[in-house]
Amino acid sequence: MNLAKELVAQQIFFRRELSERVGWLVGVRWIAVVTALCSAWVLRLCHFDLPMTTVTGVIAVMTGYNILFAIIVRQLKRISQDRQVPFQICAHAQFISDLTALGALIYLTGGFYSPLTLFVLFPIILACILLDPIYAYIYAGTCVIGIGVLGYLQTTGIITPHSGLFAHGIFHSAHTTRENAMLFIVLATACLMTAYLVTTIKRSLRAKGHTLLLFCKELDAANTKLTALYDMVKQMAFCADYQELMDSATQNTARIMGVKACSIKLLDEQRQTLRFASNYGLSQNYLAKGDIDISKSPINQGILQGAFYTIGNIEAQDYFQYPENVRQEGFSSMICLPLKVEKRVLGVFCVYSQARFNFSDADVDFFALISELTALAMQNLKSELNKSWFLQRAAHQLRSPLNAVDSMLKVLRKAYAGPLNDQQSDMLAQCERRIEGLSLTIQDLLKLGIKRADTAPPELRQISLAPLLAQLSAVYQTQAKQKEVHLAISLESGLPAVLGEEKLLDDLYTNLLSNAIKYTPAGHEVRVTLSREDAQRLCLRITDTGIGIPQDQLSRLFTEFFRAENAKAHTDQGTGLGLTIAKEAMDRLRGTLLIESREGEGTRVTCYFPVAG
Amino acid sequence: MDKANDILIIDDDRDLVHSMRIVLETKPYTIRTAYNGKEGYQRIEEKIPDLVILDVMMATDTEGFDLAYRLRNQERYRDIPILMLTSFTQKMTETGADKFQHIMGEEWPVNKFLEKPIDPDVLLKTVEELLRGE
Repeated sequence: MNLAKELVAQQIFFRRELSERVGWLVGVRWIAVVTALCSAWVLRLCHFDLPMTTVTGVIAVMTGYNILFAIIVRQLKRISQDRQVPFQICAHAQFISDLTALGALIYLTGGFYSPLTLFVLFPIILACILLDPIYAYIYAGTCVIGIGVLGYLQTTGIITPHSGLFAHGIFHSAHTTRENAMLFIVLATACLMTAYLVTTIKRSLRAKGHTLLLFCKELDAANTKLTALYDMVKQMAFCADYQELMDSATQNTARIMGVKACSIKLLDEQRQTLRFASNYGLSQNYLAKGDIDISKSPINQGILQGAFYTIGNIEAQDYFQYPENVRQEGFSSMICLPLKVEKRVLGVFCVYSQARFNFSDADVDFFALISELTALAMQNLKSELNKSWFLQRAAHQLRSPLNAVDSMLKVLRKAYAGPLNDQQSDMLAQCERRIEGLSLTIQDLLKLGIKRADTAPPELRQISLAPLLAQLSAVYQTQAKQKEVHLAISLESGLPAVLGEEKLLDDLYTNLLSNAIKYTPAGHEVRVTLSREDAQRLCLRITDTGIGIPQDQLSRLFTEFFRAENAKAHTDQGTGLGLTIAKEAMDRLRGTLLIESREGEGTRVTCYFPVAG
Repeated sequence: MDKANDILIIDDDRDLVHSMRIVLETKPYTIRTAYNGKEGYQRIEEKIPDLVILDVMMATDTEGFDLAYRLRNQERYRDIPILMLTSFTQKMTETGADKFQHIMGEEWPVNKFLEKPIDPDVLLKTVEELLRGE
């Protein structure tokens, strides 16, 4: 069915040439009419003997039928662009009319000896191009016969064409029978050779056109497939769990490959059975057969060793553990490939078609590509999940002792373990607050790790930065004093509000400031300034004269768990997550974070915040 | 109260167990402790407590739930009220419902959850409620 459709589509494509050219013929004829009329008058002015009235009459007839054809062609184009017969009839009518008119002009300008006889080549060439070769030869033959008859009648004196124009012309001297015969043979050869050459060239051009058209269609199909594959990969990248990913893979693959069903079977840990992990288009009955014992399934053994199986006619093969199920499902051909990442086989990926020999080599290659990308997406998801599992685990480990400390502090503060004075009670309350802060940070960390995929934008509101930063800095004054680091904070007042969110600003600022104090030795300085950068931005700078960051490690600063070598040597406290959190907070605040540093000299962190409104 | 209520605390965090003991002993309760699920089950077999305070996550992620299920599935122990301590109730309600469903079956095998860090006032209030059978 596809082939038939294809052929029709091609024919329609080539027919367009006829329907377009039929109209074009009318246009060309207008030029011929005008040229003929002008030529006749020029000849007349040059005192050639021409039967002007009759010639003008013939040209008038040409004008008349050309008008008629113009109308017909317009109507035809409106009614039936893709039907060929009306256009063919119209083309024939035009050729016949033209040849008749040309015959009349030849007769009026010297008959057999008129140089206009050569003009019969034009309709022949056009017929070759626009019509089937057989018609081209019929027109050529008709012209040859016409010229022959004219020559015979004229040389035997039965008719006497008007010969005033070429009384002494090039052809006029040919009087003998032999010479007349020569002239006829030359004209006949010209007609027939023209028909032959043009028809042959047209045929070869059309064949090339067909090939090009096929290439175009193949390219188009490949492009469609690749676009679909691109969409599929994009979709898989957003999947949060295996099942979703595999379901997306099977469904999309079946659609892209245009097959009835698709399945992914995964290997168990012992690598002895294959389990249907995801399928599209398979019946419950087919799935109910359960896991596949690899030792009983030669085809799956082969695939797990890396082989590709393409079965064109399932009936003829004895590959399956459950052949009757395959038959019941109505599958006739299939491709099965190993689903593997590098050299590790995860399972088997299959597509099933109801048509026999449905898959070409190109299909197999394309399916292999899909399989490779699916396996990669699965591998990628696995590492994502591992990371998130690790973070959950780490967060739990961090939070457990904190919870215990917090619980004990509460017991103490609420005097279950004996009475407290006010100062002790206040300090314990302060401890609880700090512990809560830390606990929240851990929660954030968990969020950072797990919910990175969460693309919901934060709810930003107008915040005045200076008071918030002053409040957040209070804790660090004590810390800096203990470390004997001079902390100079200069926050310009009266600055416009920025668009922000307190938690994010807290994450950003406290991480940056605590880093600065942590990596600045006693006796050195940390300077914080907040000022207006330009109309759109505020600028927060945290500058220290601390240990700095080695040049070659600057680019890795925002990588999770990364700590520069000199930082590790300076203190073993630190998770390597602070800057990641700060950077992501800044991204969510839609600001810019810049870090400049020189090892041994210090670091300058610059934050630009967009002004609200 | 005629006789002191017997409360069994099962948690692998000894510091936390200790601080809960301090809080609960301000009331006329008898406190017994165990530091893992197995030990906790032994204590229950020795004497059925009036209330079990159980940590959800000990050596394994579900050790607390495993024990709770074991108790719920036995006629003798079915009616012991269980107060479960957890540091992730919020997470469970946010994302975990289906993740924990295969462990849970159709209903939670515990009477009440209490989120860590534990507020002693809330702990006392909850314990009292559970002992009164609320």
